[in-house]
Amino acid sequence: MSPKCPVSYPFPWAPAPDIPQDWRTMREGPLLEITLPSGDPALLVTRYKDVRRLFADERLSRNTARYPASRISANNDLFGDPEIDNDPPRYLVERSIVMRAFSARRLEALRPVVRQITADLIDEMEAAGTQGELMEAFAFPLPILVICHMLGVPPQDRDKFRSLIDGFLSVSRLPDEEVERCRIEYWDYLTELIAAKKADPGDDLISELLRVSAEDPEKLTDYQLQHWIKTLLIAGYVTTASQIGTGMAVLLHRPAVADELKADLSLVPSAVEELLRYQIMGTSLGSLRYAVDDIDLLDGTIIPKGSTVLLSVESNMDEEVFADPTELDIHREDNHHMTFGAGIHFCAGAALARMELQEATDGLLRRLPGLRLAVPGEKLVRPVGGFLAGYDDIPVSW
Amino acid sequence: MTELRVTADNETCVTSSLCVFRLPQVFDQDAEGRVVVLDPNPPAELRRDLLRARRGCPTRSIRVEGEGVPQEEPLG
Repeated sequence: MSPKCPVSYPFPWAPAPDIPQDWRTMREGPLLEITLPSGDPALLVTRYKDVRRLFADERLSRNTARYPASRISANNDLFGDPEIDNDPPRYLVERSIVMRAFSARRLEALRPVVRQITADLIDEMEAAGTQGELMEAFAFPLPILVICHMLGVPPQDRDKFRSLIDGFLSVSRLPDEEVERCRIEYWDYLTELIAAKKADPGDDLISELLRVSAEDPEKLTDYQLQHWIKTLLIAGYVTTASQIGTGMAVLLHRPAVADELKADLSLVPSAVEELLRYQIMGTSLGSLRYAVDDIDLLDGTIIPKGSTVLLSVESNMDEEVFADPTELDIHREDNHHMTFGAGIHFCAGAALARMELQEATDGLLRRLPGLRLAVPGEKLVRPVGGFLAGYDDIPVSW
Repeated sequence: MTELRVTADNETCVTSSLCVFRLPQVFDQDAEGRVVVLDPNPPAELRRDLLRARRGCPTRSIRVEGEGVPQEEPLG
């Protein structure tokens, strides 16, 4: 690809559960001119060492809605709320309040719940026969049930809740007015849920956030609280579901690797980490930033002030940092991939996602040792759009 | 092996809690989720895990010192 000619981003997928060709070749230069789904231009920072540095650079603002930044898509900008301050110092105040509800201790207490949900879903798969579709049977329900448990969403609301998030997140798959309808209904649903928790607090994340926020002198406004909950939900659902399903497709497409993991499930944590690094479904769209000043890269290249910038998750394939980067190596050590970002915006749900991925991988391989793709990897249906898009359908048998 | 000294900057911590997951015997979180060092002189056999925790910290908020401990790589 020529750096002179902007390329469409996200890149097309590889024909099988494998690393797309563009991910392998994009680091010839440190910056790649790209065109976002909206048609707007942006710069993609390609090399790991620049990406890692720039995640910690405050000259890249996250307040993209307050600047004339490029939009991700014409009809939907997930982070584009000008009322929310996503830069320090205010961002860090809010983040520290919210993250109190996400401590390692609280999450470890959640692990038995995640394990039980995993076991129940696998029971249902077994009861239904010896084949099925992994996304619908397992990968979507797991994180949504975990989130519903964490938030205290009543069981009867779960289907509605999911359909609203699904619609809202369909960046380019649904007509604009449908996406907008889902966005508004979803926001209204959260308003009702928060009001209900205020009136009758429980042992859930929303009640906990209301409690810690009330105790804090710089507490969140109701709007800010709702914005955080909205963001946490979005961030915690489709991302995790896609990684469970598509990560499993990547693994099952390599039967020898899958067998090795089945034979030694103590490798699950490092395998999960490697599957996180080995992104085939991720995009860097979530890293959208705006350069408030000129910024120099390691080789002296300048990102001009006023640029819209993406920090590349494809840098997980940077051979300067990762040995044999396009090999899936479930033993890989020091696997500091950029899938969760870095710096002050490091994924708030990373620890939760890791736990879900570990429980999902362990549960599926332990309970269904014959699990395999029911179609050749090349036949898996690739998504046509979406902010972050794993396979829609993953037929499996066991 | 000589002793290791571990410190952490809870001003720059963004409460990702990765260090606590990795080494719960060394790191904890305060009520706000920010890093607390439980054991500032952990045993030498934890050296490798400590260096990983240091490298894995998204805001470079962990310091590990001791004879022969490599300097932290600069960002990038």
